[in-house]
Amino acid sequence: MIQPQTLLNVADNSGARKLMCIRIIGASNRRYAHIGDVIVAVIKEAVPNMPLERSEVIRAVIVRTCKELKRDNGMIIRYDDNAAVVIDQEGNPKGTRVFGAIARELRQLNFTKIVSLAPEVL
Amino acid sequence: MRTLAVFQPPNFTSCSSSSSSIPQLSVSPVSFLHINHPNKTLILNKKTNFENQSSAYPSSHRSRLLVPRSQKQPENNVSEERDEMFDDLFDKYGKVVYSSSDQKPPTDEADDDAECLAFAIAMAKEASEVKAADIRLLFVKPLVYWTRFFIIVTAFSRPQIYAIASRIKDLAEEQYNKVPTGDFKPNSWTLLDFGDVVIHIMLPPQREYYNLEDFYANATSIDLPFESQSSPRN
Repeated sequence: MIQPQTLLNVADNSGARKLMCIRIIGASNRRYAHIGDVIVAVIKEAVPNMPLERSEVIRAVIVRTCKELKRDNGMIIRYDDNAAVVIDQEGNPKGTRVFGAIARELRQLNFTKIVSLAPEVL
Repeated sequence: MRTLAVFQPPNFTSCSSSSSSIPQLSVSPVSFLHINHPNKTLILNKKTNFENQSSAYPSSHRSRLLVPRSQKQPENNVSEERDEMFDDLFDKYGKVVYSSSDQKPPTDEADDDAECLAFAIAMAKEASEVKAADIRLLFVKPLVYWTRFFIIVTAFSRPQIYAIASRIKDLAEEQYNKVPTGDFKPNSWTLLDFGDVVIHIMLPPQREYYNLEDFYANATSIDLPFESQSSPRN
């Protein structure tokens, strides 16, 4: 359940460390975003000497949420952090590697590039 | 390591990730240990004295088991040792809570692999006819469960990416009756996802930047017949 003002970790090596959601993309008045949704976020903390800097506005895909993800077969997955992967306007990831486990739902949502850079897919 | 909780309702016994060929271990901080073995879901309760038993293993051994599964393929002797240990633990403390009803014999699996390989080679050949360069066909099934083959090709302009993607889409639709998902517009990294075969068409800077070959370095590279003929020219 990501909403504007939520702080998220960054699950890639793009150079950002912490993001703050400022808008959920997809509908005009949507309250919450879940795994696989694209958000507009501002970088609150960044690694020095990297292309991305603090206070830059970027797009990101949510890859992990503390809120449980329910599957049709009854399986429930929840992670211990909220994390996102920074993408550009074309949908390509800005980093070259994704960290941590991600859910396979991202593939159905056409984020196969992120899935193919991830070390583990649940 | 990132902790991860996988819960299943008590009366529910299905698990869809049992197709993974490598035993996968996920530790719930709360109650029990899940081991996804091919075709079986095993649950080892901590109440069954497993904790005491596992402490008999050296700590290095345990920590290796708890490391998340990465793209690095384990050495053969390590995986055999691990399989034996899992079988042993299962005999002692485990119970089968779900066994897949659609278990395929190994020959079917090999047939599927061969079919996908034929499809992948046809796609790679189609790409080479539109002058795609540096075509790599990787067998990634041992590393990731979600697909079997990766085709990575380089194109030198967006119109060429569009040409490669549309030719591949047309051929797949006409001859193999498969429709890809992925990018619909040509992109600097265009991805076509056919399920068992995933095709990456990249511009040279993107190919160098993402360096997928390095990430999947442990995957078996399959030699393409037409590539070996054209290699002396390069």
